[in-house]
Amino acid sequence: MNRYALFLGCTTPTQVIQYELSSRWICKQLGIELVDIKDFVCCGINQTNLNLEAGLLLATMNLALAEKRGLDILTLCAACTGHLAEAVEKLKDQDTRERINSKLETIDLKYEGKTKVKHISRVLYEDIGIDRIKEKIKIDLSNLRIAPHYGCHYLKPESAFNGFDDPDNPKTLHKLISATGAFPVQYETLNLCCGGKSFPVSNKIAMSLVRKKLDNLISKKIDFLVVQCQTCYLMYSNQQNVINRKLGRNYNIPVLLYPQLLGIAMGGDLIHDLGIHLNGISMDYFLKKLEINKKRS
Amino acid sequence: MEKEENNGEYIELAELDPDFKSEVMKHEDAKGLNACFACGTCTAGCPIHEIFPEYDPRKLAKMVKLGMREEVLTSPYIWYCTTCHNCEQHCPQNVKFFNILNVLKNMAAKKGYAPNAWVEQTKQIIKTGLVFTTDEALFKKRRSFSLPDLKLDGSKVKKIIKLTGIDKIKAQIKG
Repeated sequence: MNRYALFLGCTTPTQVIQYELSSRWICKQLGIELVDIKDFVCCGINQTNLNLEAGLLLATMNLALAEKRGLDILTLCAACTGHLAEAVEKLKDQDTRERINSKLETIDLKYEGKTKVKHISRVLYEDIGIDRIKEKIKIDLSNLRIAPHYGCHYLKPESAFNGFDDPDNPKTLHKLISATGAFPVQYETLNLCCGGKSFPVSNKIAMSLVRKKLDNLISKKIDFLVVQCQTCYLMYSNQQNVINRKLGRNYNIPVLLYPQLLGIAMGGDLIHDLGIHLNGISMDYFLKKLEINKKRS
Repeated sequence: MEKEENNGEYIELAELDPDFKSEVMKHEDAKGLNACFACGTCTAGCPIHEIFPEYDPRKLAKMVKLGMREEVLTSPYIWYCTTCHNCEQHCPQNVKFFNILNVLKNMAAKKGYAPNAWVEQTKQIIKTGLVFTTDEALFKKRRSFSLPDLKLDGSKVKKIIKLTGIDKIKAQIKG
C-alpha cells in the first residue's frame, strides 16, 4: 500500500479544485492512500523572495508535520514540489537543520530529515509504474494528440531530484501520457516556463511567455495541452481566455491536468470524479473528442 | 578640470561599494559568485531576458561584483525572475545565480524595495496559512464535491515567521 500525506498547497484547493478532485480519484483507483493533514500551510516558495529563512522555515514546518505522522509528502503543485524538495536537500546540513528546528520548537515541531517529497506524477511513474497504469485503462484515447508541459519546479533545482528525470530533455510526462493511450506531441517550446511566478509582479511579461507557447502550439494540431501543476494550468487556461478577450486573439487550446487525462482513460465520471466542466472547455467539444475516439477504436 | 557629465554611459568608480560583493557572498546561497566569468550562458537561456532584454542575469552578476549596490538593489528588474532555474541549470561554473538573485531580493526587501504582491502574500499567510483569501462560496463548492474543509489557521505561521523578521518588511511605495 502506498500511503502519502497529500500536500494541496494554496492555489489548488482554492482555485483549481478539479486538480484536487481528479488526483484524489485516480489515487483511490490505483491504491494510493492520501492522508489529509489540516495543519499544512503554504510551502513558503514565494516568501524566499523577501526572506530566504522564512521560506525555508515554512517548508520545514510542513515537512515536520508529515514526519510526525511517519509519512512522505505527495504534492500536486510543481512549485511546492521544487521548494519542499530543495528544503529537504538544504536540511541535510546539520547546522541548517538545528537552526531551523530551534525556531520550530516554538510550535512543538521538529524535522529530522526522514520525510521526503514526491510530485503525484513521480508517484505514478515510480510507485505505480507505467505497466500497472496501462492495466487500468478502459477508454481508448489513441486518437488524441497531447502536448505535455512539465512545469519548471517538477524537476528543478536538479540537485533536489536525484536524477529522476532530465530537466533539459524530460520524458516522464511523455510516458505517462502514452500510458493513457494518447500520443504525446514533441514541440519546440516544451521546456518554456509558464511565467506563473512573474505574474504577480509583472503580468505583461508573464503573458508574453504564455503567448509564446500558445503560438508554438497552434501549428501542432493538438487536442489538449496537458499540465501537472495548477499554476501552469491557470496561466495556459485562464490567461489564454484573458489574452483572447483583451488582445483580440483567438487561441483555442484546451488545457487538462494530467490526473484528469488519466481519469478519463480510466473511465472516471467526467463531472463528478474529474471536474472537467470546471476547465472552461465546452463539454460538447469534449464529448465530441471522445466520441471520435470511440468510433475509430 | 571640470567634471564631465555622466549620462549613465560609464561607471563612476568612486560610487562603487567594494563591500557589496562580500556582503552578498556571505550568504550560503550566494558563495559561488566569484566563479562567474561572465560567459552569458545564464542570460542566453533566460526566458525573461528573451522577451525583456533589460533583465540580464550576466549583467546583474557583474554589477554585484563591481559593487553597484544602489543600482542593483533599487532595480525593479530583479523582481521579474520567473524562477525557472535555467540560469543555474546551465551554468558551466556551477554558479547558482537563481540563489544569488534571491539573496539580492532579500537585501532589497530589507531596504524597502519589495513589490506589494509578495508583501501582501506574507500578510495573508499570517492570517490563514495560505496565500489566498477564501469565502463561503468556495467552501460550498468544495463540499458539493465532497472535498474536505480547509482549516485556514495562520496562528502557528505567525508565531514562527516573526522569528525571521519577514513580517517587518514593508512594500515599496510607488511614485
